[in-house]
Amino acid sequence: MNRDNVVEKNDQVLTKKDLWRAMRRHYLAISTYNYDSGFAATLVWELFPALSKIYKDDPDGLQESIDNQFKFYNCNPWVSPIITGATLAIEEKGKNKSLQAVQDLKAALMGPFSGIGDTLIWVLFPTVLGAIAASMGKHGSSIGMWIYATIYILFFFLRSFLYNVGYQSGTSLMTNMSDKLSALTDAVSVLGIAVIGAIVPATVNFKLALKFSQAGVSLTGQQILDQLMPGLMPVLLTGLLYWMLKKGHKMTTLILMVIIIAMAGAGLGIFKA
Amino acid sequence: MGLTIWQVILITVIAYIQRLDFETTQIISMNYMFWSCVVGALLGDFQMGLIVGATIQLMSLGVAALGGSSTPDYAVAAIISTTVAITAGKGMAAGLALGIPVGMICIQLDVLLKIINSFITNKAHDLANKRQYRKMRNLIPVMTVLMPLESAIPVFIAVLFGKTVVSSILNFMPAWFTVGLNVAGGMLPAVGMAMLLTYMPLKKYGYWLLIGFALTAYLKMPVLGVALIGTAGAIPTFMNHSNSGNSLVTTTNGMTEEDMEDE
Repeated sequence: MNRDNVVEKNDQVLTKKDLWRAMRRHYLAISTYNYDSGFAATLVWELFPALSKIYKDDPDGLQESIDNQFKFYNCNPWVSPIITGATLAIEEKGKNKSLQAVQDLKAALMGPFSGIGDTLIWVLFPTVLGAIAASMGKHGSSIGMWIYATIYILFFFLRSFLYNVGYQSGTSLMTNMSDKLSALTDAVSVLGIAVIGAIVPATVNFKLALKFSQAGVSLTGQQILDQLMPGLMPVLLTGLLYWMLKKGHKMTTLILMVIIIAMAGAGLGIFKA
Repeated sequence: MGLTIWQVILITVIAYIQRLDFETTQIISMNYMFWSCVVGALLGDFQMGLIVGATIQLMSLGVAALGGSSTPDYAVAAIISTTVAITAGKGMAAGLALGIPVGMICIQLDVLLKIINSFITNKAHDLANKRQYRKMRNLIPVMTVLMPLESAIPVFIAVLFGKTVVSSILNFMPAWFTVGLNVAGGMLPAVGMAMLLTYMPLKKYGYWLLIGFALTAYLKMPVLGVALIGTAGAIPTFMNHSNSGNSLVTTTNGMTEEDMEDE
């Protein structure tokens, strides 16, 4: 790993164009995902032109390097370019001697980086933007949906530069950056939690259909619940499901369970929409 | 209103492009409303697309294919639901009745295609070891071309036969089933919410749940407003965190996880 920090001009065989090409080829992304090697095949496809340039006069080295890239790799595709960009920089300098370092770097970073990408790009932003878009859509306005689309198109353009970030920084800046990013993840979590708190009563939407009448006064079950606390039933249901997930039940099980409860509840006249 | 063969083909192509985007560039990957609006516009009822999309978007909140897991294909659900809602002329419930189950079935197809990918990748690896790089390079993108079929095929079948199937089912569908479907539509977002909460650092910032909840449940504030207040809360958190490393972030002494579960 020591040699990574030594930058020598004549080590550099890749041009900006090569990097740009590798970045574009990374967009095969998770389409090659499988259960035994993740999306390693995407990395092979992405890096092949660059690698064959690095190992121009060394066919054995090229084969060894490609064999190395076929090892398991899975990462959130939005942050993955930083990692593969960095491995390319390492391999360009270290050639075959760096294969272990390349593998170590991939194995070490794909977990933490996925954590950041999953939380921000796959969960938090879609939740916040989706909740806004859907609540506007329910009232017949498509503005929220267009905001959502526009923001992700902007993200997409930014994502193209991550490859360069990874390539330029090699291994050195990685640790530094992951500190900053975890601060960002933490901060955005605050926004996410506030929005979840808001959308539970606003979007989970079902009512008690039971009626009670006593001494001529008839009250529906829902009115009684609303006086206790608005949004009580959605909160209880969400709490129950959260508890079940924590117990290790699968999401698909929960979805089926909810559908069955809804059907049974509607059949017995307990719930209405 | 029936569908012309061209409309069926176009809707299938939309489903294919949608999944291709999801597998590769992910520009509009979780914005399911976008796709239902595209289909709605194609069939001449943008508003129906918007409303069906909004309902499905709510169901999907918080559900993400983390770590290569398979999730219900909400985009397929959105595309089919919109098509049926517009063509069968029986409103959104009829659309959801077909769209949601097909979206769930896509999980199985997703698993199947990922297993096929496994064979293709191993084959590519063999070719690489034999130094037949040209063949290897031609083989890898085959997976990219195949994967979107997991959305395109179900959509094609459902859209082609959907209207007849749905209207014959609807004709002797008991009332509890339709009501139950609507209730399920209202309950399902809770699964996503619960899923989301498991990713969140509730021990540290769980009290924000109470703030968000009180703002909407009691003050009827729109979600965008809550998002702005949440952003205001996020800024000091970021400052604290990046200044002082991992120490002393706004402490949440009295707030235990049990409290949050009550919430």
